[in-house]
Amino acid sequence: MIKAEPKTILYFIWNYFDVVRDLFDTQSKEGIIRKETLEIILEKWNKDIKTQLIEYKILRNINDDYELRDVYYKLIEFVLVEFRPLLPEEIEKFGTSISELFRKITEGINEDKIILIERLRGLSSQIKEFTESVEKNSIRLLNETRELKSNVNQIDYRAKIQKASFWIQYYINPLNSILDVNHSESITNKLVDVSGFANQKRLSVTDETVRQLFEQLYFQLIQSNDDLLRQSKLLTNELLPLIERIKTESLILTGWIEFLRSSDKVSPPSLLKARKDNPYSTKAYLNAKEYFEQFITEEDAVIENDEEKHERWVFNRTFYRQRLTESLPVENFFDWCNAELINHGGEMSNEKLFALTSLLFDGDVEVLSSAEDRPMLIVTKTSKLFVPKLNLKKNGIS
Amino acid sequence: MVYPESHKKIVEELLDGKFVLSREEHYNEIKENEEFYFSFFKASFGHELQITNEFARLISEETDENLSRDISIFFAIISYEMDKQGKNFLDTIQYSEFSMEEINSLFEESSWIDLVHSNKHLKDSDARKRFIFSSMGKRNIIDKIADERFGFTAAYKVFMEYAKDLAQRTLDDKRDPVNS
Repeated sequence: MIKAEPKTILYFIWNYFDVVRDLFDTQSKEGIIRKETLEIILEKWNKDIKTQLIEYKILRNINDDYELRDVYYKLIEFVLVEFRPLLPEEIEKFGTSISELFRKITEGINEDKIILIERLRGLSSQIKEFTESVEKNSIRLLNETRELKSNVNQIDYRAKIQKASFWIQYYINPLNSILDVNHSESITNKLVDVSGFANQKRLSVTDETVRQLFEQLYFQLIQSNDDLLRQSKLLTNELLPLIERIKTESLILTGWIEFLRSSDKVSPPSLLKARKDNPYSTKAYLNAKEYFEQFITEEDAVIENDEEKHERWVFNRTFYRQRLTESLPVENFFDWCNAELINHGGEMSNEKLFALTSLLFDGDVEVLSSAEDRPMLIVTKTSKLFVPKLNLKKNGIS
Repeated sequence: MVYPESHKKIVEELLDGKFVLSREEHYNEIKENEEFYFSFFKASFGHELQITNEFARLISEETDENLSRDISIFFAIISYEMDKQGKNFLDTIQYSEFSMEEINSLFEESSWIDLVHSNKHLKDSDARKRFIFSSMGKRNIIDKIADERFGFTAAYKVFMEYAKDLAQRTLDDKRDPVNS
């Protein structure tokens, strides 16, 4: 249980972001935040916030050391766009859960509705996580490969090729297999099957809730498919040919890569600001406005009231049933309805009238009507209704 | 004092931020009156005149940072993408003609697509066409060849030099983070 307000925690992170960022960097590099490292970081920024870091559950104790809780780690990772490269095995697990959920959905399509709904939601969530993981991994791999191409760390050619081979062998190639739609076991291929099934079911399932879930799933898959296709293209065009691409080096390209990585932070080359010669005065707009404003005749503004609020009325069956029982015998049921509603501060509407009419079917009243009686007219808020004259007695008593 | 024949044109174009190219007649007049124009622009406007063998332009603290940044992003992306395709991007920029179709394909296939889409001058084919033919054209950075075709003038070298300097600065920073 966290005692602090959510806003307090978010404000705390905003306020001490430099510390949090250092903690994030340390954990990314070392996998853990040593007790001594935490002290050094706090001292570096001159912030005595260890208690709050623990109290707000941002840090967790691991023996004597610490780690950022997963939720905060992922938040910082996301806002900094600095993702940890995921091993293919960490992404492939989504393939298993997606296949298993899909199998259970197809097999249990006619079984319990509640579990079907839960499985559909679970499947949707797994697809979302899978797509996000692929995207995050592509961003990370792209950053790694751009760094290799830019080579600002001046790694020699041999080490550069070794690094590139490592990325290709353990990350890029396996990710490509996961995304390769032509590969029968790829997750993308599984998603094609799911999409086909969802498309069919969104048109044929009769239960509206389930049908809507299939429809959402189908449209989610269209979007996921586009995203995955983009990532797959990126792999084919940019990451797989990495070794070929890093054979050449150019100082200009290094500069451009560094520039694109932080284009809003570095000053661009000097380019003279052109003079602006307007064919009209720069004040022409304001002058014209002022001139025309003197001829404007202002009309009185009228504020119309909003439409009357719709009266919220909940039918209290027990109450009206009791009222009806107490009133028995009733000469004319609809007159009774009218009187009851007026007595209780309301007015006659179709909704109320039909609700009260349901009392006739409760079984403890006997409803009598005579063919000789002429139908009577009832005026509700929105309609005029002809209704029979109904005589009510207590059931079983003549 | 007798001013050079194209004095008015020279002053107007340079103050408009234009690159006066060596193939233009008034470039020779600038070159022939180099000393005069250096002091003229310095004394009258506080601007530096830069004359190379290929162009003349003014440099000032009054810089159009947004335009310069967008042009730099433009050159950065086409250089990066052409290199990715295995082309010698410097030779291609210097000697080739480009069609809007080629440029659009470089941008749309780029892995910097998020940056492209967030830039109002480069985000789609219409914006790019306006940017190239109007903003870059007005400053003599490109030569319009046809409605959809253009080539770069020597002005591109200013941006390539900038990239080279930036790389050098980054490398120096990495080598000696304290003194740089």
